[in-house]
Amino acid sequence: MRIPTTLLLLPLLSGLTTALLQPQQPPQTSITIHIPPSAPLPNPAVLPPSTRATLNSLTKHHSSPLSTTNTFSFHNITPGTYLLDIHCHTHAFLPLRVDVSSSLKIEAWETFRGNDWGNKGEKVSVSPSPQSNHPSSSNDEIIILARMAGQKSYFMERSTFSVLTIFKNPVILLSLVSMGLFFGMPKLIENMDPEMRAEWEEQQKSNPMNALMGAASGQQSAGGMGNFDMAAFLAGSSGGNKEEKGGSGNNGGGSNNKKKR
Amino acid sequence: MLAIPSATTLLVGLLALPSAVRAVFRDEVGHIDYHHQLLGLPQRETTFFHRPRKDDQGSLLYTLSDEGVLGAVNPGNGGVVWRQFLAGNSNNETAVRGGEGFARAGEGEGWVASAYGGEVHAWDAVTGRNKFWARFPGRVKDLEVMEMTESQRKDVLVLFEEEEKGETVLRRLNAADGSVVWEFREAIKDVPLQVSTNVEKVFVVFLKGTKGAYSLKVTTLDTLTGKRLDELVIGTKANLNDEEDIMLVGANSAAPIVAWTDAEHTTLRVNVLGLKTSQEFPLVDGAVSVEIHAPHLIQSQPHFLVHSRTATSNKGEVYHIDLKTGHVSKAYDLPLLPGKGAFATSSISANVYFTRITEDELILVSSQSHGVLGRWPLKNVDAKVSPVHAVSEVIRKAGADGNYAVRSAALTTDDEWALVRNGEVGWTRPEGLSGGVAATFAEIPESEELARSLEQEAHSNPIEAYIHRVKRHINDLQYLPAYLNNIPARLISSIAGTDVTSSTGKHSRDSFGFHKLVILATKRGMVYGLDIGNSGAVVWHKRAFQLPKAQKWDVKGIQVNESSGQVTILGANNDFVVLKTETGDVVSVKAPSPEATTQSTALVDTPVGMRLLRIGQKGKIGDLPIDQAPKQTVVTRGTDGELKGVTFIADGATAHESTSWIFSLPKDQRIVSVATRPSHDAIASIGRVLGDRTVKYKYLNPNTIVAAAIDDKAWTLTVYLLDTVSGQILSSAKYNGVDPTKSVECAMAENWFACSFFGQYTLRENSAQSLKGYQIVVSDLYESEEANDRGPLGDASSFSSLDPVDVPTGVALPSVVSQTYIMGGPISALQVSQTRQGITSRQLLAYLPESHGIMGIPRMLLEPRRPVGRDATPAEIEEGLFRYHPAIEIDPKSVITHERDVIGIKKIITSPAIVESTSLVFAYGVDIFGTRVTPSFLFDILGKGFNKVSLVGTVLALFVGVAMLAPMVRKKQINLRWSAPM
Repeated sequence: MRIPTTLLLLPLLSGLTTALLQPQQPPQTSITIHIPPSAPLPNPAVLPPSTRATLNSLTKHHSSPLSTTNTFSFHNITPGTYLLDIHCHTHAFLPLRVDVSSSLKIEAWETFRGNDWGNKGEKVSVSPSPQSNHPSSSNDEIIILARMAGQKSYFMERSTFSVLTIFKNPVILLSLVSMGLFFGMPKLIENMDPEMRAEWEEQQKSNPMNALMGAASGQQSAGGMGNFDMAAFLAGSSGGNKEEKGGSGNNGGGSNNKKKR
Repeated sequence: MLAIPSATTLLVGLLALPSAVRAVFRDEVGHIDYHHQLLGLPQRETTFFHRPRKDDQGSLLYTLSDEGVLGAVNPGNGGVVWRQFLAGNSNNETAVRGGEGFARAGEGEGWVASAYGGEVHAWDAVTGRNKFWARFPGRVKDLEVMEMTESQRKDVLVLFEEEEKGETVLRRLNAADGSVVWEFREAIKDVPLQVSTNVEKVFVVFLKGTKGAYSLKVTTLDTLTGKRLDELVIGTKANLNDEEDIMLVGANSAAPIVAWTDAEHTTLRVNVLGLKTSQEFPLVDGAVSVEIHAPHLIQSQPHFLVHSRTATSNKGEVYHIDLKTGHVSKAYDLPLLPGKGAFATSSISANVYFTRITEDELILVSSQSHGVLGRWPLKNVDAKVSPVHAVSEVIRKAGADGNYAVRSAALTTDDEWALVRNGEVGWTRPEGLSGGVAATFAEIPESEELARSLEQEAHSNPIEAYIHRVKRHINDLQYLPAYLNNIPARLISSIAGTDVTSSTGKHSRDSFGFHKLVILATKRGMVYGLDIGNSGAVVWHKRAFQLPKAQKWDVKGIQVNESSGQVTILGANNDFVVLKTETGDVVSVKAPSPEATTQSTALVDTPVGMRLLRIGQKGKIGDLPIDQAPKQTVVTRGTDGELKGVTFIADGATAHESTSWIFSLPKDQRIVSVATRPSHDAIASIGRVLGDRTVKYKYLNPNTIVAAAIDDKAWTLTVYLLDTVSGQILSSAKYNGVDPTKSVECAMAENWFACSFFGQYTLRENSAQSLKGYQIVVSDLYESEEANDRGPLGDASSFSSLDPVDVPTGVALPSVVSQTYIMGGPISALQVSQTRQGITSRQLLAYLPESHGIMGIPRMLLEPRRPVGRDATPAEIEEGLFRYHPAIEIDPKSVITHERDVIGIKKIITSPAIVESTSLVFAYGVDIFGTRVTPSFLFDILGKGFNKVSLVGTVLALFVGVAMLAPMVRKKQINLRWSAPM
């Protein structure tokens, strides 16, 4: 990467000595990002060592590795407004907006990718470090708590074969119910009292639709309306002649009627 | 719960992705993909065994490689414990040219200190987490651990050279938190070389004077305050010519020394730091290089070994230092042995041991006497080992016999890192695969015999050809028994879903086209053949040429000739090498010349076929023989970075180059990225059918390139779409607020191109709003704004870029539809997936340098025609469009490297397979990663998800059912016939 010479001249050393040597340089501060334990990650110590945080702004790029104490420390941050990203292999973190004012006051908010940069989300707590690690640095270190979005899952679940999934299918369920009826009904009728059965059959006869359905299923109940001649019924010759066999099918029956006339 | 609102927005963002993202299945890991987790070549000074836990016996092998990767390797199995890519993570203000790295560990400490560029790090030795890091101006010249301090801890000494100010700074850093204990500044323009310590003093060694007549200056400092105590200038009798000739060793030992040789390597001069005088020792005749090995511990005896290599042999001499007088005396000689050989130093408390690795054995000697303590012949090694350098760990076995156990990790001349345990090779790591500079896919060559006989058939008359064919088939019958023999194994493996491993060891193509070779050239002059059908295993490796130290092979072009089965690699220094793709046999080679002559190369279509054309400096090609002249326009870069279109005009037997157009950039702009359509860019359909059954015709001009130019001062990026025949700008777009220090990359395919950059700007339509983040701009090109309209060209079967059809409006310009998306992180190494027919939708593959993975962004997601600010209408949904959402988060499901930690990818290459659904992907850089991607799912072959066992099981169950039911049904039917009618 090519760097403009002006950038190379930026003071990279925190501390008073450089500040005195190069008074024209902008002030600098240090920021620490801390990953607190959270519901998706009760123990941040399991995060891989490749986890890094970056602070980005136009022509500025800072990168910091994850420390043993679950923090990222950034040194020599000049005033500006930065996008903070935490790149991790196992967990996803929310992007934050970190503003460093010219008086080195640090504020942080959640930010939403693809939204207006001014559209700040919830403010993230920013606290001065209780025990500053760098006694040499004149500026207080600031701690920002990182926000976790959740664990990353890279793999797709393979749909596994199981008998249960077959039975969950509504088509299979419907066909099972109708199959139950298909086999169960005759058994049920057979087990009925003769009186009740007669009554039921009587009832069946009075309902032509039921009879039709019974005929279609070709069961014993066809005894009642089994010989129902559809064509004759439609032609208006009510009742039909019961002696005639409709074995050759409804159409045949119809033509027979015609011949009779 | 504070995190809820934002978590939901993220969720919404993820849900907005189409379900068409095809993630990897867990059972495909290692089956469709492969990964070489590499470190780079271990360096002599920065490789060591170290016990990460004081009270734990086990030690790890640490190295900081030439690629800038610091890593810990388990010496038991060669597996990587942790890695940190120091060269890839530098902050831009300290980015340093020419990465020289340093790594040290304090004895008994749980950390490893490293320095790279201008940054100093300390890492937890077990977990690889950072302990502290600091960065300072200038460049690190040396790093040393202070073994003895006033407090309990061990501190880190770092020597910086601030070239801008001409100052040298030595800092002592507190190893607990990285704070500066003291700082020593020297404003004299001497070249700092090294820092050494003994118990009470710190020594800084400088090179004084000018090149050719150097002398050494040693400054002595107080360990507590860093105040200067003394300064000595050691006369070198004008023998010291080069920084390379100085060997600085014995830092931290009881008596640190500095040694140097003259340019001819005839004598060795040794100075014990702190003394004014130096001693002279003769070297072996014909020595070409000299190395010094000494222990790094303060309690070790002050002994050192001088290893001198001649062209054919090597020898060791052991010297002792008298601590009181500082007198150096020779103790004994180790015999001159043939081959390269390597020495390694290890110490157990005060005792110092030297391990010597020769071509065929491992020898252990003590520094006290020349008696051999252990000798292990090297077992299970096929060829003679030629180690370059090695590190060893010596363990004295408990018991009266006092036997020793030695394990040595040695780097061989074939760029492999091998661990030898008491003479047996424990593991080898193909570290040479790192540092890839060029790679290409190659088909496994068909056997030449078959090709020849097929050719013969084609050229003879039909009857003869038929007879020949029948004869050939009869001849082929001899392979039938072997084939039949193979069937059971293949059947079983096909049902069990395992891979069929070729038993013959011969590579053959498969019917899906997944079995190919990848030819990889590395910066160290090595060429590798990888079998991507077999988990990317190295089939062959060849050193193209021996490069001088610190010179890198700058490969400009690589091309495979499938018909001849040869690969041609062109380098920048007028060098080339031609190899056989199957075996790696060198067909012809030309070593690099000292000066770079080649700007780039281009794959051009000539009367003799496709050919790599070498483009010289400043874009000059020169005259070419008529049959080698390209048919098309070649685009080159001129002296000031302008683009030139060069055509060749035939003149008798030669063709003269002639500039047909020049595209000069506006002042202040420089080209940062150029993208062309891939050489294999199959297009299945010339139009896109919209939801209302009208068609938008794609602008499919094959002669287009995309050039992205950045203005470093105004921070603007301009993307030009150029016609390469006429040099005409077909379209250009300017983006404000683009960071010139971050990478800008473009990719192009079919009728679209994409560019990624970091941008920060206020919106044009609403100046109250601004944006910041990594972005990708996608542009689609169509023939006309209107649907069902082919623009000014209409149905014309041909067109000319030079001869506009439509005079009033000029050249037929494409209609451009663009859209910008914000990415969830930086992306680089953009590449578009390729399939055989182009029916499969495309994927934009991009390396994620921060997340260490490769992402496959579906082209559907990057569609510029997605409706903005409203939901998609049913007609648009039918087209596959859905509502525009500006953010594209890095969906883990779209990361094709899944859980693998892939570092330092520089380039991704893709290749079509025989099956249309699949595109082969290969990525190189530091790591090697390869996989197969199916952007439109695996629609033409059965994947691993197809359960063959259950299929066979179902068929069998049905068969059993039928077999059981058939007699029952028959019986019932017979009963029916015989029973009386009701």
